[in-house]
Amino acid sequence: MPPLNSDAVRQIAADLSRRDFLALLGASMALAGVTGCVREPDEPVYPYVHPPDAGAGTDLHFATAMALDGYATGLVVRSVGGRPIKIEGNPLHPASHGAAGALHQASLLGLYDPARARAATTNGRTLNWSAALRSFSLPALRQLAGQRGAGVCLVLDPTASPVTAFLLARLRTALPDATVHFHHTIESATVLDATRMAFGQPLLPLVDLSNAATIVAIGADPLASGPWHLRHARDFGARQRSIGRVQLHVAETSPSPTGSLASNRLAAAPSVLSSVALALLDRVARQQGVAAVRVAPVTLTSMAAAWVDAAAADLLAHRRASVVVAGDQAPQDVHLAVTLLNALLDNAGHTVRYVPSPLLDAGDRSHRADVLAERLGDGGTSALIITASNPVYTAPFDLPFAAPCQRATQSLYLGDYHDETAAVTQTFLPHAHYLESWGAERAYNGVISPVQPLIAPMWSGHTVDELLAALSGDARSGLALLKACCPAAATADALRRGIVDSTEAPSHATTIRWSALPVLAPPALPRSHTIEVAFPAGGVHDGRFSGNAWLQELPDPTTKLTWDNALLLGSGTAARLGVSNGDVLELRVDRATITAPALIVPGHAEDSGSLSLGYGRRGPGTRARLIGASTAPLRRAASPFTTESVQCVVTGQQHTLAVTQQHWSIAGRASELIAGAPAKALPAPLYHGTPPGHDGFGADQWAMTIDLDLCTGCSACVVACQAENNIPVVGKTGVLHSREMHWMRIARYTGDNGNAISQPMLCQHCEDAPCEYVCPVNATVHSDDGLNEMVYNRCVGTRFCSNNCPYKVRRFNWVNYHEEMTPVDELLNNPDVTVRARGVMEKCTFCVQRLRTAQERSALAGAPRTGPVVTACQQSCPTGAIIFGSLTNPDDAVAASAADPRAFRALDSLGTRPRVHYLTRRKDPA
Amino acid sequence: MTALADVLSQRASERAQARAQLAEPPLILPGARGADLALRIITPLWTARRAWRFLFIVPLLLTGLFVVAMGVTLVQGIGAWGNNIPVAWAFGITNFVWWIGIGHAGTFISAFLLLLNQEWRNSINRLAEAMTLFALVNAGVFPILHLGRPWLAYWLIPYPATTGVWPNFLSSLPWDVAAITTYFTVSLLFWYTGLVPDLATARDAAPTRLRRQIYGIFALGWRGSGDAWRQHRIMYALLAGLATPLVISVHSIVSLDFSITQLPGWHSTIFPPFFVAGAIYSGFAMVLMLLIPVRRFFGWEDIITERHLDLCARLLLTTGLMVAYSYLCETFLAWYGGDPFERYALITNRAVGPYRWVVAAMMGCNLLVPQLLWWRRLRRSPLTLFIAATLIWAGMWCERFTIIVASLSRDFVPANWQTFHPSWVDISLLTGSIGLFALLFLAFLRWVPAVSISEMQAQQARSSGDARHG
Repeated sequence: MPPLNSDAVRQIAADLSRRDFLALLGASMALAGVTGCVREPDEPVYPYVHPPDAGAGTDLHFATAMALDGYATGLVVRSVGGRPIKIEGNPLHPASHGAAGALHQASLLGLYDPARARAATTNGRTLNWSAALRSFSLPALRQLAGQRGAGVCLVLDPTASPVTAFLLARLRTALPDATVHFHHTIESATVLDATRMAFGQPLLPLVDLSNAATIVAIGADPLASGPWHLRHARDFGARQRSIGRVQLHVAETSPSPTGSLASNRLAAAPSVLSSVALALLDRVARQQGVAAVRVAPVTLTSMAAAWVDAAAADLLAHRRASVVVAGDQAPQDVHLAVTLLNALLDNAGHTVRYVPSPLLDAGDRSHRADVLAERLGDGGTSALIITASNPVYTAPFDLPFAAPCQRATQSLYLGDYHDETAAVTQTFLPHAHYLESWGAERAYNGVISPVQPLIAPMWSGHTVDELLAALSGDARSGLALLKACCPAAATADALRRGIVDSTEAPSHATTIRWSALPVLAPPALPRSHTIEVAFPAGGVHDGRFSGNAWLQELPDPTTKLTWDNALLLGSGTAARLGVSNGDVLELRVDRATITAPALIVPGHAEDSGSLSLGYGRRGPGTRARLIGASTAPLRRAASPFTTESVQCVVTGQQHTLAVTQQHWSIAGRASELIAGAPAKALPAPLYHGTPPGHDGFGADQWAMTIDLDLCTGCSACVVACQAENNIPVVGKTGVLHSREMHWMRIARYTGDNGNAISQPMLCQHCEDAPCEYVCPVNATVHSDDGLNEMVYNRCVGTRFCSNNCPYKVRRFNWVNYHEEMTPVDELLNNPDVTVRARGVMEKCTFCVQRLRTAQERSALAGAPRTGPVVTACQQSCPTGAIIFGSLTNPDDAVAASAADPRAFRALDSLGTRPRVHYLTRRKDPA
Repeated sequence: MTALADVLSQRASERAQARAQLAEPPLILPGARGADLALRIITPLWTARRAWRFLFIVPLLLTGLFVVAMGVTLVQGIGAWGNNIPVAWAFGITNFVWWIGIGHAGTFISAFLLLLNQEWRNSINRLAEAMTLFALVNAGVFPILHLGRPWLAYWLIPYPATTGVWPNFLSSLPWDVAAITTYFTVSLLFWYTGLVPDLATARDAAPTRLRRQIYGIFALGWRGSGDAWRQHRIMYALLAGLATPLVISVHSIVSLDFSITQLPGWHSTIFPPFFVAGAIYSGFAMVLMLLIPVRRFFGWEDIITERHLDLCARLLLTTGLMVAYSYLCETFLAWYGGDPFERYALITNRAVGPYRWVVAAMMGCNLLVPQLLWWRRLRRSPLTLFIAATLIWAGMWCERFTIIVASLSRDFVPANWQTFHPSWVDISLLTGSIGLFALLFLAFLRWVPAVSISEMQAQQARSSGDARHG
């Protein structure tokens, strides 16, 4: 992690803001013909007399934050020549600790998406920002919607931004009768309802896995999804590394990354999960002798009962050092049971703290979908202002947005794309990407982070804050608003470090109001000839990333499905329905129907299915149009993430699903691949330092270890690698041809009971590399520091090397994948990495550009390298499963890690002497 | 006593009868003797029937398809094919190995059998050599076409480049280039050297001035002097001596493209002899596929007799048994060796893997079909032989496909397993190459003496001389 550049900070203090500089760069891009749009510089633009930092071509790193579902994750963005090109986690930020998820990293591609909306329009006419907002000035709104703004309705994404809070409060003062609504798409407020019931006040559980010896997750994927998952994974990884295997009990519907690490896993339909949670609560309460917990009798299958037995025993053995977590989408009764369990086990205050939600109006009516539905349905809305991301698409069936938008006298939408919502609103304003925005956001635990732009708005976008200010007649820019509304986030120190100190939400002391609790009863079991369908967040979140090709092509951690969603079914249910992979099913609830292809997933709960959100976009303005099935017709606002009693009818049609892995079985090769014999002491390296008069790169001997006990398969590393190394996407057809270009693939092997193991597979940098001796033109050779190198411009493309690679980690440029890149797309490319042409082979380089940069720096300084060199995959890995470094450098952790008794080399018997060591799982799941 | 004498004489006459039955008919039937032999071979060059033109239609169309498919491959890249990771080699290399194998029979017949003094080769060596040459043309196309950047193919040739970078001689591919170019050069020279006297015959017999001039140019001023004949014979024998080791070496080197790797199904020391046997096997199959219609079309049943077919069929059976032995060896050793990857690749994957139907076709065509050739009657039945040869010819393509694609599609890491599906370009290149072969072969039949007149006449001279002196 290179140090944040302090010169960059001084710019903020000086009047010449960096944004000016970036705006200038943007303008020069416009002159270069990149954009044909009319640009309105909102601030004066001056060139630097003396450019800050070292000069052109030097990379700079800036701290910023990305909010998703209202919660911020601190990021560090690398910028080269004024272009942000790589997103990493901010090590100082509590929600990241240096890790970055797939969504965060891929959001970079969204910045350069040529499909982004580029201009403000009113009824199809292109206008500029101020002209488009003319009919939304305060006087105009008062005239239209009453003096107190009774007819004004604002729909926002949930947000915790202090700037937005200030501006919204000011707008509410000006228009006291206007209603504000927060539209939730991925998580629900059920946890706040549950804690309100238990404690009397709505609080969020803040789980600390660094002290948890036993983790019980019910319908939750704490290590790979949710606003705090990176921190969970960081803490879990640190704990697992230092103490040993954490007891992880997971009950879930669809296999999740967390579930793949579970020592005790139960696959259960959503309604059964409620019963399981209550049964566990009942068991623990009885064992503790707490009579205040009243649970109605619960019937469980023997498997579920066994899971509850094991989980309860472990929990009771680890009072104060255990934690029970429920997912963001879990229903209220599960959250309540989990809250009570943590109280019974004295975990509160140890592994879980309760903090107020940082979201604006958390727990308030304004977050409830039924209130929003009523408001939209009452017909009294004359001015509808939407800044939520595409609610016309994301809203469930009984929360119709389209008709109210069309009914409103004036409707306005601030959006990233000309999408479904833009199609039904009169005025459209392009939304600035967060990498183009000034602002402030709060993390799940309340810590405030500044959001600072890396580039001037490419397509005249504006932020929600700027819109809210403009609505109340304030034409200031995002930076001015930040300085005015949240000055603490605009200080040089905050901008440099990406966090504002002492803004963490205080823990609340909690006591359970036992007497106020009702008798807890499990939900009725659904009708037998139907299935329950769960709607988890998909690889493209709620659909806001559906145009993001990196995410579309990122194989799902569990199903390895790309470019689609599918109804995931357990094998028993699939057999009962008589379907196999790709058979299209018609799913029917009441009179609403959708069609979706079936995909059988080992370890999925029976009598239920999972269909991820975010697909089936029908509107304009997205490359993802018509990909997958939309879930909206099946979902109801009252329970947006599960629908019971869904009828499945086999249509007889077929849909081709692009799944990157054909087999889940390890074919009896576990001993060679995932549980190899412990590596004997490393054989003497075949490469010994630098020969005299050579390039000087030989002092290091690069190697990597990957801990299979920590890899959840979350695939953040795959996106990190794609972004760092200019890896193209190949589209659904390419995936169907098995031509994905990912340098890192995550192999997944599943046992009979649904337990799975994920094995990241990348170039093993074999010391005795089979690829090298078969290349007829010496295009793949070995460096003195132990890298298997690929010389692109020497490669003629015989592909012999791939045939002889036992790990099959080499990727071939079958066609010219970069041909279709627009000039805007090209801005994304990492200038340190060659963009490969058609007909050449490529593969993982151990991020050789980073290694060489570090080595060159140390050579220039005339001193040995200080500090570690990290690869992109290692940097992003949330659990820290990947360790990289030089075997010869005592400061690098890799040598010690490779000497771990669990270390083995994949396919060691072939004698390839890989430089990648895997650490086998402590306990085999199969 | 008389009874015994009767019995003995009866036995003797039975033996004589049996001997008479077993006795081979002469290689060339009496009708093909004499001066009109040359005429019969030469005349079709300028008395073509109208049917000729129609014969060219399909090969021309297929060649057009070949050109289009090559164009698409060159413009778009290998992406136009069905190849993927892990199956980075598929139809392209399958076709290459198959065609180059087919080429082997020609050289075997013309050079090997010449050195072994097998006179029966004289009727068919010209056809077989032409087949070799045209098969090599096809075989040469694929390795270049299959490169990601075919315009840089010359980097495989060792030449003192300004970059100072030489090919990697540890890889088998630069050796491949050397082997194939050598083989093509020697085959072309051998074929052409044998052809020169016949071209002179054609020049002398040609009805028009233009034809005389054209054949005259290619006849290189051959006058048929004793001196020229002596030099010709030396040259021909030398080339035969050069070509003979190539029969063994070329496919041995091609087989190293596979056996130097560590891929289960490729990594095998048996490959060089196995590939050579398979090559001659497929080559003889194709020789038969060509001889049978040609002798019928030209009415050359007395020049290329059933005895020739029989001899070819025997070689087909012999090489078929060698191939069968190799299959057996390969499978047994995979089991006996105990390596789980080998066992999976050579036993499980072939028996129940995604390409089991190709494997079944390969086994049926290459192992079962040749067993028909144990029967002399079937060996001498042109129709049966033609069908059997065609099946073996196709079966050998399946064998190349099985070795290459089935092994690659499922190797060490199960998560990487994928299947290969050919694209239209793949199929067009295969059928197109067959079309190009047919086109070249038809052109050869149409404009070049298809049977070696000089060698036939020399053979007749020798045999009649033997008869006189015998």
